[in-house]
Amino acid sequence: MSLLSLEGATIRFGGLVAVNSVSFDLNKGDLFGLIGPNGAGKTTCFNLITGVYKPTSGTILFQGKSIGGTPSNKIAAHGIARTFQNIRLFKALSVLENVVVGGYLRHNTGLFSALAYLPSSINETKRLKAEAMELLRVVNLSHVADVRSADLSYGMQRRLEIARAMATQPELLLLDEPAAGMNPLEKEELLTMVKKIRDDHGMTVLLIEHDMRFVMNLCERIVVLDHGEEIAQGPPSAIRNDPKVIAAYLGEAV
Amino acid sequence: MKFWLIRLLSVVVAVFGCIGVQLAANSQSDYIQRLLILAGLYVTLSVSLNLINGITGQFSIGHAAFYQVGAYLAGFLSVHFFHTSNLPPLVWLVVTMLAAAAGAAIAGFVVGLPSLRLRGDYLAIVTLGFGEIIRIQVQNTPALGGSYGLNVEPKVKSIALVWLLAVLCIAICRNLLKTASGLPFLAVREDEVASSAMGVNVTRAKVTAFVLGSAFAGAAGALLASYEGFITPATFGMDVSFIILTMVVLGGTGSITGSIFSAIFLTLLPEYLRSLKSPSGGPLTLTGGTVVGWMVAVIVTVAILRFVYEDGGRPKSKRLVMAVGAIVVGVVVQFVASLAFNKIGALHDKQIVIGQLRMVIFAITLIVLMLLRPQGVFAHHEFSWDWVGRIFGKTKEATA
Repeated sequence: MSLLSLEGATIRFGGLVAVNSVSFDLNKGDLFGLIGPNGAGKTTCFNLITGVYKPTSGTILFQGKSIGGTPSNKIAAHGIARTFQNIRLFKALSVLENVVVGGYLRHNTGLFSALAYLPSSINETKRLKAEAMELLRVVNLSHVADVRSADLSYGMQRRLEIARAMATQPELLLLDEPAAGMNPLEKEELLTMVKKIRDDHGMTVLLIEHDMRFVMNLCERIVVLDHGEEIAQGPPSAIRNDPKVIAAYLGEAV
Repeated sequence: MKFWLIRLLSVVVAVFGCIGVQLAANSQSDYIQRLLILAGLYVTLSVSLNLINGITGQFSIGHAAFYQVGAYLAGFLSVHFFHTSNLPPLVWLVVTMLAAAAGAAIAGFVVGLPSLRLRGDYLAIVTLGFGEIIRIQVQNTPALGGSYGLNVEPKVKSIALVWLLAVLCIAICRNLLKTASGLPFLAVREDEVASSAMGVNVTRAKVTAFVLGSAFAGAAGALLASYEGFITPATFGMDVSFIILTMVVLGGTGSITGSIFSAIFLTLLPEYLRSLKSPSGGPLTLTGGTVVGWMVAVIVTVAILRFVYEDGGRPKSKRLVMAVGAIVVGVVVQFVASLAFNKIGALHDKQIVIGQLRMVIFAITLIVLMLLRPQGVFAHHEFSWDWVGRIFGKTKEATA
């Protein structure tokens, strides 16, 4: 059984069909790429999977259960976490606190024990902080754990978003343009990091990216969207030479 | 074991501290006692509103409504059930406080659940509307005394209970922020979409904050009702909501410490101005020229200070020197301008009692503080012993 499968997922905003009958399957452990020109519907696709939008038609199955239209926070609890194209960190909170929010999904104490400052709540907080610190080590941010997240550099903020998403311990990690705004060296580091996330943490990764070299080097399978429609699907070598993909990116020969 | 010992000790210290305050205040005048009670109630109100506005980021401007729900619920219960309950007045007060807290919490839940789906200014308007609905409803309900007000029996004046409630409210907010359970509230303030994607139930966080904040406001209302012995809808007008909001913003939205200090400061400031005495003994009176001179001096000083702090490029020590300079300039300007304005006959002859200008000075203080420190006096910071240590550490460095 595939981990995530979209079957004819469609969403309309008034007359505009942003995502039109897109179907693909992700298996556990995949490194899957979602590419396409600007406005192709990639982020909308993410928003459908994470419950920001409810699909107009079609089904989205995660581990065999339909999740189309489920509220975002429940989808996070089911095991899908994401990062955002336009970074959405909790700016006033420290780097560590940002990651703890991700881990809070798995906390075991009630509000009352927190309000009364009972040992159970204190220990739980310690545990979540320790776990968050571990994740910060994975993304090389442990040295800035106490810094306000808004004060980080752009590349660091992107890595922090990944750590925060990983803190929910998802089965499936959605990365929306993780390499945007990074320099070549940072991109190289990110590449190894994403591979490590899959190999060491056993998470399946679905990512949107514009940097073709990055996608082709990292992903094992790729789906290409254009104007909300799926135009190609397959391994990088096939996508690279697909005439439809070349046309979508470069325009057709006149 | 050690943990529980410290916990027990801190509770004992809090309880006896509050009783101590009461004992110390007993020998003071009614006026001082009244100020102590009002300050304590406003601390509770502003810290509880801070939980909603500052920590969870929901812009509510109807906090007086929950204060009113608590006061009237407690008043109504006292009028009808105190005589048959056979409880000593102080115990009865605690019972009505709990009832008022529960009632206000329910009101908070009922208002919060539908309206917290709104954001920002929309939520502000809904809470404002709710506040007015409650006030006008009470005004037109004969069973609650209508606009004549409600006499509350028994009348209990308990400074200790007022401050215990304030301490409890502070402790609960602080505990929330100290543990991971507080983070979802802060996360909702920072970014709702991202918190939801991280598994935070946004609506639940908002409603929880709203219910908790309302409950404390309700308990404070019960204390007010039994202290005054008489409540009218006019006591809970929009201006009360705005004063509480001002306290939260002035102290630094999100800072518990800031809310506490600005609640005390704003309660006492007008009273302090009212009590100002001239050296000869009567109320402090200045000539019109001097008052105008002070106004010019404040404007000049604020303008210079803003100029100094707007440019972030200067080193901290240099800015400090320039700030001190600005104040010196202000004093000089005040002196010169007063002399100059007092040359004008009309201004020189006009005698102004400063106590009568107290609300003007109150407003000017707010404007000046907001111009100089829009993030609030304490911004996002909280009091901590580390912080005290750092300040002293710094001054040591400076003197060495």
